[in-house]
Amino acid sequence: MGAVSAFGEGAERLWQGLREGRSGIRPLRHARADKMRIRVAAQVPETFDPAQHCSERTLPLLDRCSQLALAAANEAIAQSGLDFSAGDLALRTGVIIGTGVGGETTHDEQSRLIYEEHTGRVHPFTIVRLMVNAPASQISIAHGLHGPTFAVASACASANHALAQAAAMIRSGLVDVVVSGGTEACLGFGSLKAWEAMRVVADDTCRPFSQGRRGLVLGEGAAIFVLESKAHARARGATILGELAGVGMSADAGDIAAPDPAGSARAMGQALADAGLAPEDVDYINAHGTGTQANDVAETEAIHRVFGAYAARLVVSSTKSMHGHALGASGALELVAVLGAMRDGVVPPTMNYVAADPACDLDYAPNAARPMRVRAALSNSFAFGGLNAVLAIRAPG
Amino acid sequence: MTENLSPDEVASQVIAIVAKQAKVEAAAIKPESTLKDFGIASLDAIEMIFDIEAHFDITIPDQGANFDTDTVQSLVDAVDKALAAKAAGPDAAA
Repeated sequence: MGAVSAFGEGAERLWQGLREGRSGIRPLRHARADKMRIRVAAQVPETFDPAQHCSERTLPLLDRCSQLALAAANEAIAQSGLDFSAGDLALRTGVIIGTGVGGETTHDEQSRLIYEEHTGRVHPFTIVRLMVNAPASQISIAHGLHGPTFAVASACASANHALAQAAAMIRSGLVDVVVSGGTEACLGFGSLKAWEAMRVVADDTCRPFSQGRRGLVLGEGAAIFVLESKAHARARGATILGELAGVGMSADAGDIAAPDPAGSARAMGQALADAGLAPEDVDYINAHGTGTQANDVAETEAIHRVFGAYAARLVVSSTKSMHGHALGASGALELVAVLGAMRDGVVPPTMNYVAADPACDLDYAPNAARPMRVRAALSNSFAFGGLNAVLAIRAPG
Repeated sequence: MTENLSPDEVASQVIAIVAKQAKVEAAAIKPESTLKDFGIASLDAIEMIFDIEAHFDITIPDQGANFDTDTVQSLVDAVDKALAAKAAGPDAAA
């Protein structure tokens, strides 16, 4: 696995930050910060240097979301030890990358040039930078991967839908390996204004499930994984980080924004069934946990519906309290948290928790990591548009 | 013009905007009515606040209000407060 996040470059750096309960949320770094009500964000640090992760020739072709995706993919592929030049592996390896909006930084900057500076022309690479499939294409090009390659878009559930799609393709026998995850970098002036208008962004920090929560905090980043069948991984003696044992996907088919616990519960139930897990096999849920009034109540209710009395014994945490809501990359960043929790036997905390909200009555590991064995976990992502995607992960072994 | 409006004028203009969004007669809207009473919820409520902000040229803070369950009177109060902040000058605005 590989990642770039508010904690900087590297999946390990992200995991250590989450495990230690550190915050990636900082005052918003933006040239027009004084013209916005949004005050804080979980941005990738300024020290991120795309030239370290891609060739000089490629660099002009990349939006920031592709830069982040490439850095994460390079790390994941190097760790996997796969040699794509061997046999027909490159032909049987796909790239499925989730992103909510793709090249928004490019869109914002080039629009500014024509509408504000009246340049009358934009950069000739605008299209190839901003198209939503650009991150997937750039990974396939950089690593010479010739299998099925495309983007998956479902707003805040994009990464989980991408990973679910990757798993389905491997199960079907269509491919042997998929490089999959999510990327997002959409903190341009226009999209920040759009989030501001929706009135769901907190002005202080992200306090999932807590009394006094004031909304989500936007983030950016990418996390990418190398998925293969168990047989394929074992045959080559690979180090297995975790088993994507099942997936569940559903649509609320109701309100475009307000979450419906029936829809998210259905996705969680499907993920358990697909993985062959009973509710009491699960130790941990990495929650969608955005810190909005509506999500946290609906998600808590959905967990109660699926897990019944056992819900009280689950540990549920929202790492968005630290890495922010990286939208289409969220599910992937959160899978890093789940795999870290399984490896180290430590569940990352829900930070910034002030006091219990009576409508959110589960064990959220408030403000302190929880040493405990994690045999199996769910990772929830629920999107605007009423789209739910849940991953069920089993510890390796 | 929304400068120097009397409290009654502010209230009747807010009610007119609520009535338009709810597709009901203004007379049907009482100060103690909630937006929910008229089926205004979720994104509809946010869109209505957006219309109110544009009409009065004000900014209503995100926090401290629950537009689904708050009353029309609390909405009028929020507009009064925002208008007062605007009159006090940009530096005083929240």
